[in-house]
Amino acid sequence: MFGVLRDLFRYRLEFRFGVILTGFIVAFAALSLASPYPPQDQFVVPPDLPPSWSYWFGTTSRGQDVFWLLTFAIRNTMLFGFSVAILSRLISIAFGMWSGYRGGLVDRVLMSVNDTFIVIPLFPLLVLFYFVMRDRMSWPLLALAMASLGWAYDARLIRAVALSLKSREFTQQCVFSGMRTREIVFQEHLPYVLPIVFYTTLNNMNWSIGLEVTLSVLGFTDIDTPTVGVMIFWANQHTAMVAGIWWWVFFPVLFVVILFIGLFLLAISINEYIDPRSRLARIEGASR
Amino acid sequence: MQAYATYALKRLAQFALVVFIGINLAYLITHATPIDPVEQTVSAATAFGNTSPDAIRMMRASLRELYGLEGSPWSQYVAFWRRVLIGDFGPSLSAFPTPVSALIAQALPWTVGLLTVSTCLAFALGNLLGGLAGYFRDNRILKVAGIAAMAVHPIPYYIMAFVMLIVFGYLWPVLPISGGYRINTPWGWNAAFVLSVATHAILPVASLVLVGIGGWFVGMRSLVSNIVTEDYVTYAELAGVSRGRILGAYVMRNALAPQVTGLAMSLGSVFNGAIITEQVFGYPGIGTLLIQAVHAGDYSLVVGIASISIVAVSVAVLIIDLLYPLLDPRVKVS
Amino acid sequence: MRALRHLALALFLAVRAVSAGAEELISDLPRNETLIVENPEGTIKNAGWFNIWAINAGGQSTGLQQLAMDTLWYIDPQHGLDGVWMNSLAAEKPIYNADFTEMTVKLRSGIYWSDGVEFSADDLVFTAELHMKTKGLRWSAPFQINVASVSAPDRNTVVFKLKKPNSRFHTLFTVRWNAVWIMPKHIFEKVADPLKFDFNKPVSLGAYVLHGYDPNGKWFIWQLRDDWQRTTLGRYGKPGPKYVAYIDPGPPDKRVIAQLNHELDIIHDTSAEGMFTLARQSKTSRGWFKGFPYAHPDPTLPAVIFNLQNDTFKDRRVRWALALLIDIKAVSMASYRGAATISAIAIPPTGTHTESYHAPLEAWLKDFELDTGKRKIKPYDPDIGKEIADMLRPSMGDQIPTSADDIAKAFGRGWWKHDPAAATELLQAAGFTRRGDAWMTPEGKPFTVHVVVEGDLRPVMTRAGSMIAQQWRQFGIDAKTEVAQGTLPDRRDAGDFDTMIAWSVETWGGHPDLSFFLDSWHSQFVARPGQRQTPRNWQRWSSPELDKIIEQIRTVGFDDPKGVELGQDFVKLAVREMPIIPLMAYNVFTVMDQTYWTGYPNAESDPYTDPVPNWGNSRAMMVRLKPTK
Repeated sequence: MFGVLRDLFRYRLEFRFGVILTGFIVAFAALSLASPYPPQDQFVVPPDLPPSWSYWFGTTSRGQDVFWLLTFAIRNTMLFGFSVAILSRLISIAFGMWSGYRGGLVDRVLMSVNDTFIVIPLFPLLVLFYFVMRDRMSWPLLALAMASLGWAYDARLIRAVALSLKSREFTQQCVFSGMRTREIVFQEHLPYVLPIVFYTTLNNMNWSIGLEVTLSVLGFTDIDTPTVGVMIFWANQHTAMVAGIWWWVFFPVLFVVILFIGLFLLAISINEYIDPRSRLARIEGASR
Repeated sequence: MQAYATYALKRLAQFALVVFIGINLAYLITHATPIDPVEQTVSAATAFGNTSPDAIRMMRASLRELYGLEGSPWSQYVAFWRRVLIGDFGPSLSAFPTPVSALIAQALPWTVGLLTVSTCLAFALGNLLGGLAGYFRDNRILKVAGIAAMAVHPIPYYIMAFVMLIVFGYLWPVLPISGGYRINTPWGWNAAFVLSVATHAILPVASLVLVGIGGWFVGMRSLVSNIVTEDYVTYAELAGVSRGRILGAYVMRNALAPQVTGLAMSLGSVFNGAIITEQVFGYPGIGTLLIQAVHAGDYSLVVGIASISIVAVSVAVLIIDLLYPLLDPRVKVS
Repeated sequence: MRALRHLALALFLAVRAVSAGAEELISDLPRNETLIVENPEGTIKNAGWFNIWAINAGGQSTGLQQLAMDTLWYIDPQHGLDGVWMNSLAAEKPIYNADFTEMTVKLRSGIYWSDGVEFSADDLVFTAELHMKTKGLRWSAPFQINVASVSAPDRNTVVFKLKKPNSRFHTLFTVRWNAVWIMPKHIFEKVADPLKFDFNKPVSLGAYVLHGYDPNGKWFIWQLRDDWQRTTLGRYGKPGPKYVAYIDPGPPDKRVIAQLNHELDIIHDTSAEGMFTLARQSKTSRGWFKGFPYAHPDPTLPAVIFNLQNDTFKDRRVRWALALLIDIKAVSMASYRGAATISAIAIPPTGTHTESYHAPLEAWLKDFELDTGKRKIKPYDPDIGKEIADMLRPSMGDQIPTSADDIAKAFGRGWWKHDPAAATELLQAAGFTRRGDAWMTPEGKPFTVHVVVEGDLRPVMTRAGSMIAQQWRQFGIDAKTEVAQGTLPDRRDAGDFDTMIAWSVETWGGHPDLSFFLDSWHSQFVARPGQRQTPRNWQRWSSPELDKIIEQIRTVGFDDPKGVELGQDFVKLAVREMPIIPLMAYNVFTVMDQTYWTGYPNAESDPYTDPVPNWGNSRAMMVRLKPTK
């Protein structure tokens, strides 16, 4: 596995860029541990100052330092995206694998349920969910809600892999040689499934962070905990763009876009690596 | 023909299942809300006056009677399904007694128009550019376009809309940034109205299209670059068939097939764009209606909107799934 | 590639063509005859519904109540066109009998509905009787509770016989934002069920009729009636604007942009930063005050409201301690960026109240003594308003007024001194103890306080709440904000809070009578814990002293000066007991653009009404506004 990653880094431009961008964001988020200001306090610095040597990213209308606030915001946003991705992996792997291996009626029923979740417009349901939970809404709860709605697309992909693996020759061999299902799944199939899981995790992170930013900007989440979406929400509350406090909006947007592009590049480079056809094309291209 | 009929029936059954589950989900979530529509109405109605406490008690009682919120949860559920099957979602609770369907009918055409135009444009442009980029691998302009499309695609739709608002609302105000048409223009098929609807739709559609192009572009490009290496394409090139014809009749047509499937699957997420567009650009439609309904605790209206959107998306997917095998002879309906 | 170049050119030309047309906001109406106003209701869900008497989702402040409706009397939140009290459809003030069980109204003659039918006592009688026999109308309940019978001895007189003595029955027909509007008998008598009738197109009694509206609820346009002299506004002269458009301009930043482009004449409310931007960038925009704080102080008093049925807050020393821990200057900065009008007493510092309450009681406040358990202190600091002005002068320069009178009007007078030492003594006297950095209740549990705020539905109050919680937290109390977005009314009514930032004090503004809110504070209306509280005694304060004051007010006439004396007694009681911690007036950043219209009301030279455009009283502006071009 690590050999593969190292090769990807060395030879694929997209992967390299993805790692650099994402790594930059992670390092930035780690800076939050060194912040001199508690993230929820306001009026700890003079408000509305433009970026300068004393305040690198300027200050907000609420008297907060944009630089340090952003470290918390990015950290919380990433943690949120990550937890949604992990939780929904559990559901999509369970659904996809079970459906793919079992086949038959189980497969058809599960896929019908799956397709329902693909087709249903999620955003209205999330808005509804927020209004039901309202003040009891917390980040873990929102993560749970989004995870339970966002697994469908990836479950299909995993099912496709499971189906193709099931019919391969080496699987039949393992069965004949007496390996138990669990051993087969974990020892033989996992290396094929992992890249797909990795790819879908990154995609899912992008999706959930995008949704979080949208919900927060509209005010449908806990607005006291700083995340990227919540920062933009407060900026809008204080009509920052019109008042000329552009740095309050610019830096969170810039950083979240960097994060998105980074994750996206990682995802497509791994996808290309997995897809055997494009590998062949690359090999051919190299020899042309 | 036999196979197709079986396939169609199975798809219809699946359609019914999806709609059933979806509407139930909407109903359950809505009715789990702690917001009491009567309290919301009473609060709103007495917010500014100095109504006496006795008057408020009386108002609450008469509203409860009026809205018909009596009856056990099960009987309400049964009554709900009986009405829905004939397309009646009942009266809106916050706009009693105006029926939910009347409110939705007012707003729906705008959302449908916006989403249809954006989806078609994004699909057409994305696939066209992707096809060209996949075929003409070395063209620099197409490579740059590709990078641009891919850079924009992961950006959450809200941020794209927000950036366009800033650019065209504050920095270079040449386009209208709110409303569906110019104020006081009479409705009808006259030039003034049509023109103003078109100009007011430019920004919302543009933001939806820009974000959507990237996905289709990447998919089409990789599909086309695989097809390009196929034998029959090489043969056609050697035989001297014109580039345009190869691209159109041989390559793109074959690549479009999986893209159409992708279109069906993406329709669900397209609706999300509606709500945010309406918030950012002040565009009329059912997104704003939904938010207002949720604020008011008006569950009839909320369930109505959620149901309509589920049905609309499911119908679109159904149509695509039914038409697709007829269009592409390679697909076997087993 | 040539194709691409052609495409780019075509796009460029298209944008240029479009931008030429983007100038005009409204088609077909001459801009210099149109007043464009923001409707804070936003987009109206059920735009075609104009029956304001049935509770539906039609708009109220779409111009419907401001321009098309009319009723008997108006009380101005400021000084009024010719006095605070306006006789509108009534020719004179209400006439009560000796024990307030009968009210007689004399009506004006020569007033006509917009469809040519003359207004008469029949309309008023019909309105009353329809409400008495129909349940579920917006004002059914007050009629059914109060009115025994109603009759019209002649065309211009109506007599109400009441079920029980009510010295303030006339307030039902007195507009303070809104009131019971009069229905047209000749239309509604033909309607089978008034709850199902949409009244589209509405017939106006006011000076404007409906010109057109957006079926999606984003704009409503009203046109001046040709026979405007036959309306109650007619005696003030011809209204200036021929067309008035009420629109939904979107979020606060879009409103600022619209006014900078001169496409929005009156902004209902925007953020403090938006206000400062307009003040800086637009020569023609102005607020209620010419300089800081710009905003109009509405006759509403945001305060920290305690839940007095919660054991922690039963001791008034605890409430006083929490009050003394608040640094009102920081709260003013956090919530309004300093553009706040503070008040130490439970009366909004606006309208005529400063003359009736704030100024006369200043001496009493200065001398007020509080016993902390260890010593006696005088907690009132009369200079805090001035200190806020001084704090802002370096950055705002000459926007900040200098004379003591102007500062008192703009920023307020004094407030309670920020005194952690005294707070410590008060808490200790009440049995609280300190363990390390944290405070413990007498029962030994950590002293926890949650401040419920309404989130982005009331951003200013949310910011104030966060700052107050922060100040309490810094003292060692476990304080945090709870955002109750949209559920605040539910939680407030249910008593599901420790403290919240909201208002339980709302007054007429132009008239010193306090019954508008005070009557409902009587202990007879206090709900049991866990049950819903009816407005407005959200703090669930029960006090025999308060009851006595209220009962006395009930027996005294509306205009009797003794009412003001009793009001002052209430103020003193509220200071001693501190059931709520008054903060400031509800400042609304209403911004008026003088490019197309002049004659707006303002604090310095012409406070003839409240400029906030969703108030029914704002119709007074129409007769004073004159076009500039």
